[in-house]
Amino acid sequence: MKVGLFIPCYINQLYPQVGIASLELLEKLGVDVEYPLGQTCCGQPLGNSGYEDDSKGTCQLFVENFKNYDYIVGPSGSCVYHVKKHFDILEQTEDVKRVRENTYELCQFIYQVLGKTDLGASFPHKVGIHKSCHGLRGLRLGSCSERMDPHFSTEENLLKEVKGLELKTLNRADECCGFGGTFSVFEEAISVKMGKDRIQDHIDSDVEVITGADHSCLMHLEGLINRNKQPLKVMHIAEILNSSI
Amino acid sequence: MAHAEAAAKFNENEAKVNWHDKALWFVRQKRDKQAHKIQGWEQLRDYASALKANVLSNLDNYLVQFEENAKKNGVTVHWAANAEEHNKIVHSILQKHNAKKIVKSKSMLTEECHLNPFLEANDIEVIDTDLGERIVQLAQEPPSHIVLPAIHKTKEEVDELFQEHLGTKPSGGNPEYLTREARKHLRNKFLQADAAITGVNFAVADTGGFVVCTNEGNADMGAHLAKVHIACMGMEKLIPQEKHLGIFLRLLARSATGQPITTYSSYFNKPEEGKEMHIVIVDNGRTEQLSREDFRRSLHCIRCGACMNTCPIYRRSGGHSYDATIPGPIGSILSPGKDLTKHSSLPFASTLCGSCSDVCPVKINIHEQLYKWRQIIVKDVPQPFVKKNIMKAVGSILAKPKTYDFVGKSTRFMLKNTPKSLINSKINTWGHARDLPEVKGDNFEEWYKKKTEK
Amino acid sequence: MSRESILNAVKANKPEALPLPDIDLSVFDEDINLIERFKENIEFVGGRLLELDGLDTLDIEIKALYPEATKIVSCMKESALGTVPVSKDTDPHTLEDIDLTIIKGNYAVAENGAVWVSEDDIIVRALPFITNDLILVVPKNAVNLHMHQVFDAISERERTFGVFISGPSKTADIEQCLVVGAHGAISLTVVLY
Repeated sequence: MKVGLFIPCYINQLYPQVGIASLELLEKLGVDVEYPLGQTCCGQPLGNSGYEDDSKGTCQLFVENFKNYDYIVGPSGSCVYHVKKHFDILEQTEDVKRVRENTYELCQFIYQVLGKTDLGASFPHKVGIHKSCHGLRGLRLGSCSERMDPHFSTEENLLKEVKGLELKTLNRADECCGFGGTFSVFEEAISVKMGKDRIQDHIDSDVEVITGADHSCLMHLEGLINRNKQPLKVMHIAEILNSSI
Repeated sequence: MAHAEAAAKFNENEAKVNWHDKALWFVRQKRDKQAHKIQGWEQLRDYASALKANVLSNLDNYLVQFEENAKKNGVTVHWAANAEEHNKIVHSILQKHNAKKIVKSKSMLTEECHLNPFLEANDIEVIDTDLGERIVQLAQEPPSHIVLPAIHKTKEEVDELFQEHLGTKPSGGNPEYLTREARKHLRNKFLQADAAITGVNFAVADTGGFVVCTNEGNADMGAHLAKVHIACMGMEKLIPQEKHLGIFLRLLARSATGQPITTYSSYFNKPEEGKEMHIVIVDNGRTEQLSREDFRRSLHCIRCGACMNTCPIYRRSGGHSYDATIPGPIGSILSPGKDLTKHSSLPFASTLCGSCSDVCPVKINIHEQLYKWRQIIVKDVPQPFVKKNIMKAVGSILAKPKTYDFVGKSTRFMLKNTPKSLINSKINTWGHARDLPEVKGDNFEEWYKKKTEK
Repeated sequence: MSRESILNAVKANKPEALPLPDIDLSVFDEDINLIERFKENIEFVGGRLLELDGLDTLDIEIKALYPEATKIVSCMKESALGTVPVSKDTDPHTLEDIDLTIIKGNYAVAENGAVWVSEDDIIVRALPFITNDLILVVPKNAVNLHMHQVFDAISERERTFGVFISGPSKTADIEQCLVVGAHGAISLTVVLY
C-alpha cells in the first residue's frame, strides 16, 4: 500500500509543523508514505466562493499529483471533503474517480483503513475537540448532533487512547466556528462572533488545548485566542497523536 | 443592504445577539429531545423526503386529483399564477360577501404575496391573529422567523407596543398578562370577523381536504366563527394520501418547536352548513423552481423553521438581516430563484456547515444548494472587479506549482517581516479581530525536500 | 383563469416520475406502556389526565375539578352536567362565554398526547376552541401508539371536520415564555376510562 501525503496549501505555508506531525505519525504506523512535490491546493477556496469553474486546473493538477497512489491522506477534513464531493466538475476519468474514492482525512484513514486507535501517544492535558463541519457532516467522521444516530466519533476514539489526556465535554458538541473560508472575511462580524462563542464554550468546559482535524478552523480560533490573550492553546490532532511528552 | 452589512449592524448589540442565539438554540435543543424520544426518526425523514419527491414528480396529477375531490366536498378551488392574481382572487371573494373585517392566521404565503397591504388599500381590515404575527403587525415589521415571528422582540418592547395600541397597563413585560390582554383583544376581532383567511400546512390529494396546524387555536377560532373561510396554499403543499400525514405530522412540530405535535391539527374537508370554504392554489414562481434540477428539492419544505433555529449565522444575525419573506438557510435557497440580484448575498451568508441539511425533516440538501447558487451568482450577477480578478488569479496560481511556490514564499516572507500594525490594520479584514498565524522557518515542502535529500 | 397555464407549466417542468415509497411501519414500533406514555405526553403539553374505572363517577369528578363552572355544554349522554343546550343550529358566536365543554374523544395518541375529535361529537365546530375549559373523554382501549395507527382508525370516517387536540391552547411568542391559554381553551383535561 502506497500512500500519498496531501498537505493542503495553508498548512504547507503556515503550519508546516502539522504536515511534519502527519508524516511522522504515518511513518510511525509503518505506512509507506511519500509527499508528492509540486502540490498546491484542492480548489476549495475557489469553489466555495462561487468560482468553481476557475478551479478546474487546480483540481486537475491534484489528480495528476496523486493518481498513482493507493490512498491519499491529508490532515484537513474540509479539503478532503472538497476532493471527494466537488471534483465532479472534472471529467470523470478512471484517475479522477479513483482519486476521489481513495482520499481520506488523516484520522479517518488511521481508524477506518488501518484499524488502529492506540498510537502510543501521551499528552497529559485537558483537551476539547472542535469537530469541524466538513469533516463531521461532510465526511461523517462522527455522529452529528442533528441526527438521531448512535454516538460515535473518530477523533474521540483516537484521543481516548492517548495517555494522560483528559477529554472535555462541550455544551454545544458540534457547532460551527465561523471560519467558512472567505466567509471569515466577507461576513467578518458573524465569523468573529461565532469563533468567540466557540472559544468561550471550551473555556467554560475547562479545556486547556483545543484540537481538531481541520486546521483552517483552528487558525481562525487561534487568531482570536491570541488577539484576546486567552489562556488556551490550539493544536492539530496530528500533533497530539504524534506527541510523547 | 447585503446580509453581511445588516448582520454587522445586528451585532452592534452583543447582549441581544447572545439572547437571540440562546433563545433559538433552546428551541433546537427541545427539538433534539423530541426527535430522540421516538423510534425511527431518520426513517421518518427518509420517507418524508421520498414522499415529497414523488409529489413533485407527479404534481400536475395530484393537483387535479385534489381539485376534483375538494369540489366534490363542496369547496371552491381557485388557481393563481402569481401574487397579484392571488390577491385579486381573495379580494373578489371578500367583495362578493361584502366582507370588511378579516381575521387571518399564520400564512407565509400571504406574506409572500403581500396580501395585507393590498386588502388594506381596498378598505378591508386584516388582523393577524397569531400572537407573534399580531405583535409584528402592530410594530409594522415583517416577521423575522417563520414559526416565531416576533423572536427578535423583547418582552419590554411588546409591553410598550400593547400600551400604545391595545391600551394595556405597563407590566414590565409580563408575558402572562400581555397574552391575556391579547386574548381579549383578538377574541373581539374573531367575534366580529366577516371572513377568515388561513394558510394550509398540508393538502391531501386523495381526499381533497387540508390540514392547518396551530398552537393558539387562532385558525379554528377564525374559520369556525366567520361565514367564509379562505385557505391559501402554495402548490407544493400537497401530499398524496391522508395516511401520509402520519409521517409529516410526526415531523413538523417536533422540528419546529420541540413539541410532539401542535396543540391543534385541524382537518378541513367540507364547509359547515350555510358557510363557504375556498382554496386558492398559488404558483408564484414555484413551477420555475421546479424546473431547476439543482434547486427543486427546496420545494420539499414544510416550513418548520428548524434550519433557522440550528443555523449559527441566523441565530447571530436575526431574521431581518436576510431581507426576504423566508429568512435563514431555506430562504437563502428559495429567494435567489425569485430575484437573483436582490438576494445575491444570501447564499454567501453561510459557512456551508451543513447543520441545516441534517436538521431538515424532509432532507433538503440546503448547504449543497447554497454552494450551487454561489456558482450561478458569480456568473450572472456583476461581482466587484477586485474580487472577481483575485479569484481568477488565484485559480491560475494554484494550477501551476512554480508560480504557487513563488507566491507562497512571498506570502510567508510578508507575514514574517511586515509589522503587526500593518497586518492588523483596516485594509486587512481578517486582522480586525484576529491575529494572523506566526510564520517561522521553512514551509513543509522545503522541510520535506531537505529531509529526503539527506 | 390560470389553471391550465399552471398545470401545463408543471407538466413541462416536473422531473421524471418517482415512485411512492413503500412505508414499513414496523420501524416505528415501540414496546411501551401506552397509558403511561400518553400520560407523560399529555402532562408535557400542559394538559391533565384523569383515569377512571368507568363513567359512573364522571360528573362528580368533573364537578370537583371545575367547581366554579356554570355555563356548561355536555356533548355526551354519559354526562348530565350540561346547562346550555347546543344544536346544529346554534350560532357559534353565542358560545362566547361558555365555561366548560365535555366532549367524547374517539382516539388518543400515546406518542404526543393528542386526542382525535370528530365533527359528529362536537355539534358545532367552534365549540372545543371557544370554550374556556375543555374535557375530552376517551376509552382506555382507544389509546394508540403513534399517528400511523390512528390514521388507520379514522380512515373510514365521513370527512367533514376533525381535529387532533393536544393540550390546552398555548403560545410562546413573547420572548419564548410559554403561556397557556392563547385563543382556545385555557385548560384541558383528558378522562381515560
